[in-house]
Amino acid sequence: MTASPFLAPLFVEARKLNRSLAAVLAAAAPALIAVFAFFMVLRGTRPMPWDMWMINASGIWAFFMLPMSVTALTALVAHMEHGPKSWDHLRALPLPRWRLYAAKAVCVLALVALMSAAVMAMTWGAVMLATAIKPQLTPTGAFELGHYAATFAKIYAAALLMIAIQLLVALRFASFVPALAIGIGGTFFSVVATSAKQGVFFPWQMPVNMLATEAWRVNTALGLGLGLGAAVMAGALAHLSRREVL
Amino acid sequence: MPAAIETHDLTRRFKRHLAVDAVSMTVPDKAVYGFLGRNGAGKTTTLKMLLGLIRPSGGSALVCGVDIGRDRIGAARMVGALLEAHGFYGNLSGRENLDLTRSLLGLPAREIDRVLEVVEMTEHGRRRVSDYSLGMRQRLGLARAMLGAPPVLVLDEPTNGLDPDGIADMRRFLRALPERTGATVLLSSHLLGEIEQTATHVGILSHGKLVLEGELSRLKADLAPEIALQTDDAARATALARARGFDVLPTEDGLTARLKPGEDARTASASLNRALIEADIAVFAIGARSRSLEGIYREVSPPAPTAAVKAQPEFA
Repeated sequence: MTASPFLAPLFVEARKLNRSLAAVLAAAAPALIAVFAFFMVLRGTRPMPWDMWMINASGIWAFFMLPMSVTALTALVAHMEHGPKSWDHLRALPLPRWRLYAAKAVCVLALVALMSAAVMAMTWGAVMLATAIKPQLTPTGAFELGHYAATFAKIYAAALLMIAIQLLVALRFASFVPALAIGIGGTFFSVVATSAKQGVFFPWQMPVNMLATEAWRVNTALGLGLGLGAAVMAGALAHLSRREVL
Repeated sequence: MPAAIETHDLTRRFKRHLAVDAVSMTVPDKAVYGFLGRNGAGKTTTLKMLLGLIRPSGGSALVCGVDIGRDRIGAARMVGALLEAHGFYGNLSGRENLDLTRSLLGLPAREIDRVLEVVEMTEHGRRRVSDYSLGMRQRLGLARAMLGAPPVLVLDEPTNGLDPDGIADMRRFLRALPERTGATVLLSSHLLGEIEQTATHVGILSHGKLVLEGELSRLKADLAPEIALQTDDAARATALARARGFDVLPTEDGLTARLKPGEDARTASASLNRALIEADIAVFAIGARSRSLEGIYREVSPPAPTAAVKAQPEFA
């Protein structure tokens, strides 16, 4: 079967990922949050509202697990080519090089979207499982799927700048050290300065600012994360396509 | 019909280092062109420019008449390449690796069977590449280069790292390639023996410059033969031969006396033999022989003082 020239790099990338440990990574991060939620429910003494569990999960995802997962995922995607030194072969093929890089970007974005949805779904599942063991702890209030999905979608959108930077660094340097150093550094500041006002301008803290109560923080971080993220991603694809890999 | 590959003053500079210096080469259609040079002579840089992987600082390169600088994708359609770094995914089978490239090239699935058959790898196609020997990886690389039957194959050091059996196999395979696939082969190597036994044409690159190019048989025919001799007194034999107008060089197994162009090798051998015996020098062996590629190479590609220390050429 032959895919259309535009989609072929995407299918090829998906097939490579399918045979890597990307699936393990994509499942592990949301699962860890769910496991944490499960034990948190079990150690409770009285029922808590759904909101609390879901905001907890989205918070852990936004300020720690998401930046760490993006760091690992982009490094993995890049090292599928850096490791076996595949770039010369790929870049010598008769197709526009930007498609090769765009396919990687689309796969990373799709996996992060999947992980975001998995955090939400697995957290719900973990809470339900815990309350099956201790029915007296069944959360109060309604499970507002639309509201939670919108929050996770905003976190995802605000993370675009961070994803673009991490992907650019991971693809640009054959060593995984620069990408890991930036990712770990960014996550460190995201964790130790979660509530800093300046965080709205810091790519690794933009996602967690989607949980802020002040509207300006949400809007600024979302606008910068999404807008600058799209610009940086486009610039990264152009730069990577044009540069010489010596 | 345009040449399979043609370059005009192709130049590449890395900051202050001139890696490829105004190379104008012509690879005729259906040739096996041996691209020779020491390590660091500029072979891989030239090949990378031919594949559009790096941009020339000057000059131009055409593949089947398509200018790489103006239409990289059009030129790349004409070329299949085996590079030093194979770029295989070790966790996938040979077939799966080929299938990824096949998908990117938009080729039908039957192409995989075809190229595996050409490189005699059909039975190993379902094994993971991480379990392949180096020779099998080279063959798989060749199979991948042949996907879509491009008219030109660029092979960068295809015998690198192979054992003697693997080298013999590869040599046999490369010799038969133009006939089996109809492709022109540009083969880079620093192994003179390999090129001499495989190529129909050669180009010799030295310090970034193309110092010699042509049909191998013609190059050898155009050069006057030489007389190989072994005596009991090399110093006196050298002096005597030089006095008779021969250009004499010491070799590993004795001396080599170069003839002047047009001189008859048999007559010259007999005359030199007689002179040596009359001078009471014992002659163990003497005879005319045609010039080898190694001799041609040594003549046109002298080592640079610094390069000679850093990168010694290897001869097979």
